[in-house]
Amino acid sequence: MSVDAVQDALSAEHAAVWTYGLVSAFITVPQQAAAVADGANAHRARRDVTERWLRDAGATPRPPAAAYLPPQPVDSAASAIAALIAVETDSCVAWRGVLERTEDGALRQSALDALTVSAVRATRWRKVAGLTPASITFPGAGVG
Amino acid sequence: MLLAAATAPLAVACTTPPPPPPPPDPLAELVKAALSDAALATAVGAPETAAARTEHAARLQAEVDRATPRVPGSSVPPTTSASVPPPAGASREALVPALQAAQKQAGALVASVQTYRVGLVASVAAGCASLVEALS
Repeated sequence: MSVDAVQDALSAEHAAVWTYGLVSAFITVPQQAAAVADGANAHRARRDVTERWLRDAGATPRPPAAAYLPPQPVDSAASAIAALIAVETDSCVAWRGVLERTEDGALRQSALDALTVSAVRATRWRKVAGLTPASITFPGAGVG
Repeated sequence: MLLAAATAPLAVACTTPPPPPPPPDPLAELVKAALSDAALATAVGAPETAAARTEHAARLQAEVDRATPRVPGSSVPPTTSASVPPPAGASREALVPALQAAQKQAGALVASVQTYRVGLVASVAAGCASLVEALS
């Protein structure tokens, strides 16, 4: 059912908004700090659009959790970037999940946009972290 | 009676003309683009892009082969990916526009493909965007 998949995507967006807020104190390189601000704004906008879609579908948007658990404690620039890679990767999985559970062309387009921008941001942070390959061959497919 | 029931469909099968060939699979075009990008990337020394686009071609071709109806009695194998020669005058500058075109091409199918294919097609589109970002 697409509403459940969209609720999962909303949860991923809440986690992304929270994580971008958390890491901002640890990322001080100006260019990277600007990318953090961009990512935070993009996820807030996506969260708002997603909540609106759910209300229009007659559902109650899932509220954010009080806190989220990054894959490792965020206490440095490196662990901050690892946390960003993790939330962008999770967003890719959630939005691909929406694509696979709807025939609605407009929702698919919106989910593709979300999948694509998260894949691009995940790639950007992978580059910053020096991971190889920086690119993700099948974003949202769970592995890779 | 039993014999008649068994032979009747056979007689029909022998006398009806062969069905028209199925319409081309839209994913076949994505396979072509992926192979062409892989050849270009190899020619210009971009191994990460070459590997990813080769992987795209393989998964897409597997889906095309799975969905291609086999005509009974026909010995023609499903179309397999032929290797594509690197384009003449290949340049690194051509790689990003090619990947952007591939992203658009796959993205354009997302609204209309079957649910069981949409994840793959969308991941190929997003994967091309990721490759562009990795090259930037």
